[in-house]
Amino acid sequence: MAEVRLESISKSFGGLTVLPDLDLTVPEGSFTVLVGPSGCGKSTLLRIISGLEMPTAGTVRIGGQDVTFDEPSKRGISMVFQSYALYPHMTVAQNIDFGLRLAKVPAAERQTRVAEAARILALTDYLDRKPSQLSGGQRQRVAIGRSIVRQPKVFLFDEPLSNLDAALRTQMRVELAQLHQSLDATMIYVTHDQVEAMTLADQIVVMNAGRIEQVGAPMDLYDRPQTAFVAGFIGSPKMNLLPGTAIGRDDVATMGIRPEHIAVSDDTGYWPATAQVVETLGADTVVHAHVAGTGDVTVRLPGDRRLRAGETLFLTPERRHLHLFDADGHRMQDPA
Amino acid sequence: MTTAADRRMPASVRMRRALTNGRVTAVLIMLPPALILFTFFVMLPLGESAWFSFFNWNGYGAPSNFVGLENYDRILNHSVFHIAVGNTVKIVVISLIVQMPLAMLLALLIYKKTPTNAVFRLIFFLPYILAEVAAGLIWSFVFDGNYGVTASIAGGLGMGNVFILSDPDWAFAAIMTVIVWKYFGFHMMIYIAALQSVPQDQIEAARIEGARRLQVIRYVQIPAIKPAIVVSAFFAIIGALQVFDVIIPLTNGGPSNQTHTIVTYLYTFGLTRLNIGFGSAVGVILFVGAVTVALFYQRIFMKRAQG
Repeated sequence: MAEVRLESISKSFGGLTVLPDLDLTVPEGSFTVLVGPSGCGKSTLLRIISGLEMPTAGTVRIGGQDVTFDEPSKRGISMVFQSYALYPHMTVAQNIDFGLRLAKVPAAERQTRVAEAARILALTDYLDRKPSQLSGGQRQRVAIGRSIVRQPKVFLFDEPLSNLDAALRTQMRVELAQLHQSLDATMIYVTHDQVEAMTLADQIVVMNAGRIEQVGAPMDLYDRPQTAFVAGFIGSPKMNLLPGTAIGRDDVATMGIRPEHIAVSDDTGYWPATAQVVETLGADTVVHAHVAGTGDVTVRLPGDRRLRAGETLFLTPERRHLHLFDADGHRMQDPA
Repeated sequence: MTTAADRRMPASVRMRRALTNGRVTAVLIMLPPALILFTFFVMLPLGESAWFSFFNWNGYGAPSNFVGLENYDRILNHSVFHIAVGNTVKIVVISLIVQMPLAMLLALLIYKKTPTNAVFRLIFFLPYILAEVAAGLIWSFVFDGNYGVTASIAGGLGMGNVFILSDPDWAFAAIMTVIVWKYFGFHMMIYIAALQSVPQDQIEAARIEGARRLQVIRYVQIPAIKPAIVVSAFFAIIGALQVFDVIIPLTNGGPSNQTHTIVTYLYTFGLTRLNIGFGSAVGVILFVGAVTVALFYQRIFMKRAQG
């Protein structure tokens, strides 16, 4: 378990600058999630931490030590790839203890560590199988097992759940959270899925176009997004971002209101709107409505609220939950 | 493809289903052209060749002098045939232990997609594109004891004229050098294609696990491309059994019949001497040998590589 500190990191590929100048501290023992849209540089950042990619400038410190020029294997990290990166010709046990064999760890200790990892990940019955004989979730567990046995200071995950179906992804998410609790290790996790970020992280780093938009605890980002980008990225369904004139504020460039912070009435309200699409999700009903002269607004209602497309609604944003942003997309002071 | 469920059906149902689902029609339409061509251009010549091998026949008129297995007896007791078989085996061995490792080494050096590597790939592949006879002629100039490169080297070292291709001890070594030079590019390309398909993630995962470059090659890349290596070895063995065009312009089987392979032996002692029955018998032996090797290899190595 160790702190990871990135100082003035930049990365260019030829003439293309992917990370202009970036500072970040990942606290010891934290589960930090790097989240952002495709191409925002989060995977590049993870690869720089792992040593698979060299930064163009800047310093990478793990546990206080400068590891910028160290080989990946010398940094005390392990990495789980999106594709699992298992060796198809090796059995599960051989995949898990590959690094230990390279490090010439005695056979008895190898066996103990593999058995322990297999127990934690419920892989004991599959140790003699090849990866091709496993399901997607089991393969992902093998990849995690390969990380665990090395007892690294920092675990790196590069979109590890992207190849799994929705049900398995939810299950693996829970397992990863449990794993973090039991190992108490520093984990850095890359994803473009903000639900994964919200559910797993104790620190979220939202990235956009190579820059860090905001760093904070999940609910901090949810309740007080510092930029319009974070406001739109964190939360599902996403926050409604409308022009300030929608609430009669000419000094506000963009106002944001989350779908669950809009009151709906049949006869009176601030915005008269027409329901266009109604999604009945069971616990929730999500209504996509159109407000004439303002734009499209998404509203989340309790699941028992029945609405039909084409119905007229009156929407009222809850004033204390408004998020106001200036022309640069930065948060303005909270509405009183 | 017949499934287990299909096999459990009554024969009449199976027949009706095959007739109505278009599979039988497809077979009836598509199989005959291939079957006819294969019969006329492969099976009939093979059968004829086997038939001629029982005659003492010069190729003119109908074969009439039936000699039974006498041609086979002569071949199997002919010392030059033994040399030819020995040389063919040597080519197989050199292909496997020199040519393929060389091809692998170069493939590992230049498999990544960069402009420089593309140039090197082309350079290394050029010998393979060259016609065998042209390659043989080029190397006959290189090995020329009076004016060739070897003559210059020997002169530079203060040695007298060296006629490698006329030296019974060295001529076949020279031929094997040319064969390695001519065909390593083909195997290199097979390996390059296979290496490029190894997921980069696996290599990076190995690096994170502490594998050095050679360990990545040994534990990740080579096992990952094993099926390609098995196919490449198959081509090397079958190719070695067929070597002919390179040898004729270089040594024509000489000196003293020391550089014959089975095919040049067939050509020299069968065709050029108008012993068509004898040559046919050599052809039959070569065919049986090649088929045996191919079947054996496919059964053992290719299945293992797929598994």
